Amino acid sequence: MMPLLLIALPLAGAVVCFVLKLAEKPARVCLLGVSALETLLAALMLFSPIAGIRHSICPDWIGCDSVSALFLWVTILLFFLVSLHLCAWLPAELHFGEEGETQKLHIFFSCLCAFLGTMVLVMLSRNFGLLWVAVEATTLVSAPLILFHRGRRSLEAMWKYLLICSVGIGLALFGTMLLAVASRATHAELDMAKLLNCRDAIDPAWYRAAFILILAGYGTKMGLAPFHTWLPDAHSEAPGVVSALLSGALLNCSLLGIVRVASVAPGAEVKIVSHLLILLGIVSLVVAAIFIVRQRDFKRMLAYSSVEHMGLLAIFVGAGAFKLGIIHLFGHSLIKMALFLVAGNILLGCGTRQIPLLGGLLKDMPRNARLWIAGILFACGVPPSPLFVTEFALICRLNIALSATVVALLFIIFAGMTYATLKMTAGPSGEATPPSERAAAAEKLWYVPLAALMLCTMIGIFYLYLIAGGAR
Amino acid sequence: MTALTEILLALLLVTDLSLAVASRLLHSIKIVALQGWIIGLFPLAAWCWRDGMPRVSFYLIVAVTLLVKAILLPAMLRRAMYKAEVKRELEPLVGYSLSCVIVLAAMGMAFWFCRYHIALPNEVPALCLPAALSTIFTGLFIIIARRKAITQVIGFLIFENGITAFGLGMMLEYGILVELGILLDVFVLVFIMGIALFHINREFAHIDADQLHFLRDDEKERGAK
Repeated sequence: MMPLLLIALPLAGAVVCFVLKLAEKPARVCLLGVSALETLLAALMLFSPIAGIRHSICPDWIGCDSVSALFLWVTILLFFLVSLHLCAWLPAELHFGEEGETQKLHIFFSCLCAFLGTMVLVMLSRNFGLLWVAVEATTLVSAPLILFHRGRRSLEAMWKYLLICSVGIGLALFGTMLLAVASRATHAELDMAKLLNCRDAIDPAWYRAAFILILAGYGTKMGLAPFHTWLPDAHSEAPGVVSALLSGALLNCSLLGIVRVASVAPGAEVKIVSHLLILLGIVSLVVAAIFIVRQRDFKRMLAYSSVEHMGLLAIFVGAGAFKLGIIHLFGHSLIKMALFLVAGNILLGCGTRQIPLLGGLLKDMPRNARLWIAGILFACGVPPSPLFVTEFALICRLNIALSATVVALLFIIFAGMTYATLKMTAGPSGEATPPSERAAAAEKLWYVPLAALMLCTMIGIFYLYLIAGGAR
Repeated sequence: MTALTEILLALLLVTDLSLAVASRLLHSIKIVALQGWIIGLFPLAAWCWRDGMPRVSFYLIVAVTLLVKAILLPAMLRRAMYKAEVKRELEPLVGYSLSCVIVLAAMGMAFWFCRYHIALPNEVPALCLPAALSTIFTGLFIIIARRKAITQVIGFLIFENGITAFGLGMMLEYGILVELGILLDVFVLVFIMGIALFHINREFAHIDADQLHFLRDDEKERGAK
C-alpha cells in the first residue's frame, strides 16, 4: 500500500494545483503539505518497525528494495528542503527578480509536485519497462520548470533539454527492448527480481548491446560526458531551486537506471560493464576539468561540477564500490543542492551570473558568500566533507594509473572552482554590486543551505571517525 | 501471415526513403502518419489467427496505438505547423539527393549487418531488424540534417517508430502498462514540444533550430545577462 501512496500523493497534489489553478499562496501551502507528508510517509515506510508496511499491492511493478530505499530517502529529503527554500524564495524572486513574463504559477507548482511523483516512481519501479516510462516522464514534467523565466535563453535551454534527453532516453528504450530479447529464454519479461535470479541465463551478446545503448541513453540524462551537452544549459537557465532539484535529485534517477541494468549483468559481461562505466567516468572528469577552469558563469560552473560528480559516481559503480557510491551520492546531492540555492540567492542579489562582473561578495552579501565558500570547498572534497572520505576510499581502490589520473583531474577542478570563488567573494566590489534592498532579501534565505551543509559536515565527521577508528 | 508482415516492413522502408527526400512539411507529416498506420496495424498482421483469438488487452493496445500514432500525433504536428506559421519548405542542411544516398547507404549497412552478424530466432520476420534499424537511423538523420525545429520533432517520431517496429517485430511483450506508458510519454512529449514551438516562434520570429545558439561556454560579449 505504502509505495503506491508515495507515488499517488504528489501526483494528486499536481492535479489539485493544476485543476484549481491555485494562486501563489495556496499553491505554496499545497507544495509544502505534499512534500512534508511525503517525507513523513517515506520515513514511516523506511524506518518503522511495523511489519509489512513496505508491502506493495502489485509487487511485480512497484515495490521497495534496499537500493531504492536509499535513493528514495535522498530524493524525498532533498525535495522537502528545496520546497522549504522555494516558499521563502518565490516572493522575493517575483518582487526583485528578472524582468519579463514568468511561467504561470499553477503550472509551475503542479509540475513541481508531478516531478516528485515521477521521481518516486523511478525509484520504486520493479520493471525495466516501467522504469523507462518513469524516467521519460521526469523529463517531461521538469521541462516546463526550466521555463520559469520565459525568454529566448530559457526556451533554447528547454528545447535542448527536451530533444537531447528524449533522443537519449529513446536509445535507452531500444536498449530495454534488446534486454528483453536477451532475456527471452528466462521468460522474465523485464521483471527486475526475476532477471536478477536468472541473470546467467541472459544472452551475453544481446545483453552487451543492450547495456551500451542503455548506458548511452540514461547516461545522457545523468549528464555523463560526452552526452552531457544539455546539462550546463538547462542548469544555468533554470531558477536556482529548479537547478537544485535537477542536479541533486534528477541525475540520481538515471544513475539508478544504469545501476539496475548493470546489476543483472550475466557473469561473462561484468568486466565489460565495469570498464565502460569507468571509461565514461574518466571522460566526464576530463570534460568537467576543461570547462570548469576559467568558466565565466557560476551556475555553469556548478553544472560542470555535477558532470564531474556523476562521472565519479559512474567510477564508483564500475569499481564495484556501490556502498561508497551511495555515501558520495548523498553528500553530492545535499552539497550541490545547497550550492545551487546559494547561487540562486546571489543571482537574486546581483542580477548576473557572470563571474568577472562579481567581486567582494563577502562585504556585500556576507552570509551567502560564506555559504558559497563552504559549499565549494565541500564539493571539491575538502574535509570534513563526506566527499573527501568517499573520494579518498575510491582512490585507494583503483589501480595506480587510474587513481593518479583521478587525483590530477580533481586537483584541476579544485583549482578552477576556488579561483572563481575567490574572484567572486574576496577583493574589491565588482561591477555588479547588489542594490541594498535586493541583497537584504537574498541574505534572508540562508536557512536551508546552512542546514544542508551542517548535515553534510556531520555525515563527513562520522565517516572520518569511522575511517580513523578502522586505521587504529 | 508472414507475407503480410514482410509487406508492412517493406512499406516502412519505403516511407523512410520518401521521408529522406520529402521537401514539404505537410508531406512529411502525412508520411509519418502512414508510418503510424503501419506500426499500428502490424500486430494484427503478425498474430497467428489460426491458433486462436488474442486477449482484449491486445485489441486495446492496437486501438490506442493507432489513435495516438496515426491520428493524434500527426494532427498535433499539423496544428503546431499552422499555429507557429512555419514556412512549408523544409530548407535542408543536407541536400535531398545526398540525404537519399545516405539513408540508402545506411539501409545497405543495416541489411549487411543483420544478415551476417546476428542470429535471429525463426519466428521473427527477416526484414524486422534491418527495417527497424533503418527507420531509427532515418529519424536521427532527419533530426540532424534539417533546419527547422519542427522537423526535429518529426525526426524524433520517426526514430521512436523505428524502436516500436523493433519491439513489434521481435514479438516482445512487456505488459499493457508499459506499452500504454510509452505511448503516453511520446504523446505528452510532442504536446509540450508543440507548445514550445509556438513560444520559440514568438520569441525568435522563426523556428530554425540553428538559431538556437545563445548558450555556450565561450560567451563573452554575446549579450549575456
